[in-house]
Amino acid sequence: MTDTIELLEAIGGDASLRYAQAGELKGVLEQVQASAGLSMAVELGDGAPLRHELGLQKISETPQMNSPGHGDEEEEEADVPLPEPSQPDRSPTPPAKQALSY
Amino acid sequence: MDWHGVCFRWLLMRAGISFVGRWRRPDLPYHRAMPSATLPSLHDTRRGSLSCVGLGMTLGSHLTPLARSHIEQADVVFAALSDPIAEEWLKRMHPDVRSLQPNYAEGKPRIKTYREWVALMMAELRAGKRVCGVFYGHPGIFAWSPHKVIEQARAEGYEAHMEPGISAEDCLYADLGFDPGRYGCQHFEASQLLYCERRIDTAGYLVLWQVGVVGNRSVGRFDHGPAYRALLVERLEQDYLSDHEVIVYRGATLPIERARIRRITLRELAVAPLTAEETVVLPPAVTLQPNRAMLDRLQALDSRGQEATAA
Repeated sequence: MTDTIELLEAIGGDASLRYAQAGELKGVLEQVQASAGLSMAVELGDGAPLRHELGLQKISETPQMNSPGHGDEEEEEADVPLPEPSQPDRSPTPPAKQALSY
Repeated sequence: MDWHGVCFRWLLMRAGISFVGRWRRPDLPYHRAMPSATLPSLHDTRRGSLSCVGLGMTLGSHLTPLARSHIEQADVVFAALSDPIAEEWLKRMHPDVRSLQPNYAEGKPRIKTYREWVALMMAELRAGKRVCGVFYGHPGIFAWSPHKVIEQARAEGYEAHMEPGISAEDCLYADLGFDPGRYGCQHFEASQLLYCERRIDTAGYLVLWQVGVVGNRSVGRFDHGPAYRALLVERLEQDYLSDHEVIVYRGATLPIERARIRRITLRELAVAPLTAEETVVLPPAVTLQPNRAMLDRLQALDSRGQEATAA
């Protein structure tokens, strides 16, 4: 049986395979004796059978960013202007600074 | 091969650099006919160094040659990826890949996890290792730790570098078929629309990230998820009609998948099932309005220029 990860890498890097119809791709994979999980994943267009076959848990937490302005401990990292009641002028911090200096 | 080519090759050979490939051959396609050289890598062995690279979104399709080189040349690789199969792929490139996923924990604020990631990478860097942090997509987009660890490493005098990757945003333009330059495009982390006063320009596209976890700061604690999302919809309804089209998008992470694209209304967004990886796009709601004053001034400048040319 051909290594599944290597096959995925090969599919991902081949212009004729990456967007091939599921039936066509299955045919190619049969020729190289791909695993049942990979064939099923191709048929469904979903990696779930593959993760099951490889004994891998779906990653529950996708790395994300924390938006400024939560008001809790990450506030020290953020540049969101704190309310200043004594100053009537509420002109915002330049957007680039708010978003990028995080 | 011309005279310059002969000289260049002689210089490389004198420097001990050999060619693996061959010089351009007209009978081969361009990419196969170009020479590929094997050069000695330069490493400063005295101190550690840091690189944060992107793996791209789709396994096997998006990893750049330079990002792969950073991975292969590192002493230790840390991984924060969105698919365990991609992590398995990464392990084929390096024998010491350490997943950052176990640092997440139920009820633990994400910012604590991300600080731990920075600490783990910094510890290896201070030990003199070449450290590579591998993140899915682009390491500098919607990711706190890569920016932070590079900032900290540089502050301590280490060489630190970020290598861009193909991001979810890049895939989104290709899969949904719109150009951000045509009408303009705003991007917001969804929670920011609730936490902060922001102005939305409805003449352009609006892209909202992390809508599926809006208002949620800790892993697993999401009792008020639907209520938070309802607030987000309420905020958007200040600028859009409730039946305005909303596109829910998720790019492919495996090369056997297709991008997932759903079209719903803004009203439906409040209750639609949504994962953390899905991105929400609101197409323009109004047509671009001409700026008459500026157009008149441009016209005046053009006329003056024509008069000067005629004179």
